[in-house]
Amino acid sequence: MVTVAKLIDTTTCIGCKACEAACQEWQDQPFPVGTYDGTYQTFPDVRHDFWNLIKFNEIEHADGGLSWHMAKFQCMHCVDAGCITACPAPGAIFRRDNGTVDFDHDKCIGCGYCITACPFDVPRLNPITQKVYKCNLCSDRTAVGLEPACIKACPTNCLTFGARDDLVQIATDRARTLREDGKASAGVYNPAGVGGTNVIYVLEDAAHPEDYGLPNDPTVPWTVRVWQGPLKWLGNAALVGGILGTFFHYIRFGPRHADEESS
Amino acid sequence: MTSSVNRVERFAFSERAPHWMAALSFVYAALTGLALWTPHLFWLSDVFGGGSTIRRWHPWGGVVFAVVLGLMFRNWAREMKLDADDRQWLRKAHKYAVHDEEGLPEPGRFNAGQKMLFWVQMIATLLLFASGAVLWFPELMPRTLRLAAILIHPSVAVVSMGGIIVHIYMGTAAVPGAFRGMIQGWVRPAWARSHHPKWYRDITKS
Repeated sequence: MVTVAKLIDTTTCIGCKACEAACQEWQDQPFPVGTYDGTYQTFPDVRHDFWNLIKFNEIEHADGGLSWHMAKFQCMHCVDAGCITACPAPGAIFRRDNGTVDFDHDKCIGCGYCITACPFDVPRLNPITQKVYKCNLCSDRTAVGLEPACIKACPTNCLTFGARDDLVQIATDRARTLREDGKASAGVYNPAGVGGTNVIYVLEDAAHPEDYGLPNDPTVPWTVRVWQGPLKWLGNAALVGGILGTFFHYIRFGPRHADEESS
Repeated sequence: MTSSVNRVERFAFSERAPHWMAALSFVYAALTGLALWTPHLFWLSDVFGGGSTIRRWHPWGGVVFAVVLGLMFRNWAREMKLDADDRQWLRKAHKYAVHDEEGLPEPGRFNAGQKMLFWVQMIATLLLFASGAVLWFPELMPRTLRLAAILIHPSVAVVSMGGIIVHIYMGTAAVPGAFRGMIQGWVRPAWARSHHPKWYRDITKS
């Protein structure tokens, strides 16, 4: 099956929030009551009941000028997904054939390891159900050949859905056009540290992704890798070795009886 | 001969009760912890009521264990101090393991191996409790702490479980009579004289 992806061209985003509304509609989630901090941004961050958030990043330049970077933010559906690496409950977080990283909430136990392991800080725990939620790329829509709700709602074609390879090409072409038009640092955000992402951005200033609320060089944290890799095998070997070691000690040396002990 | 003559009190009830509360909470926390440690052992969660259930109660098992270890600390910390004889004993512990006790200093109420286990578990409990609190409430804790805790918690748990594997072996199969000392609280005088001669001399002096 072909890997699908979402392309977000931040240079054509007008901050209308149609994607946010469409996401809530399709996921059948009522608009939550939350923190309003006096900016254009709907909430300070994504929530367990609000998966698609446009970040309104205000960037002041040294010469006093201002850039207003709008960037839709949600699960990045990493090719090398830290959440899947960290999850202890088999099948709770899984990858669909089309590359989407999805949750099976019947299997999620709410431990929160995925929250710690995610380089983008996306998954959120619902305190009532004690399960973790995030964007699932509308897997119920894509399964029947529909595009995700956010894509369908976008009025400027800032959002595109399709085969990942095609979108990488479109993004690359678009970044080249921007550079030819004088946006010298325009580029594609598809970070290699997590093997690439199935949500790809075109950024006007690709040298500073943090200005868009995106991490500069995201990777699955090394502690997560050590924990789920060598530490696991060392630990298992130590425990099995301990059990076998005591057993063989017993059959080799036997118990230490007390002198003159009869009972 | 009456039984009281042939018995020496090894551990009072106030020592046995915390020990067994610690044992029960340890086994619960260890088995549920192993279920969360690797997907290969996740089936253990079914034994204890399912994944969501153990995620909720594993931390409480740890809280009970930590509190009870506090009681054990109060009971035993003074007796567990290592003296010069103990350090000598530890250097020759490999000889103790093969029943060649020539030249080993005589142990008191606890031998140096038991003392080491005590301190390993005390330190491990502090580390497990601190890192466990971080993992308990991931959304309240800074990410750096959480990333440290996912390494510290299982590493220390493996050391702790390794110590307990040896402890259970020593307390049951390897040293006959020791188990009764912790369950019913008494041992035979010959047992005390053989395994803990310095202690036996102390309690029979008066």
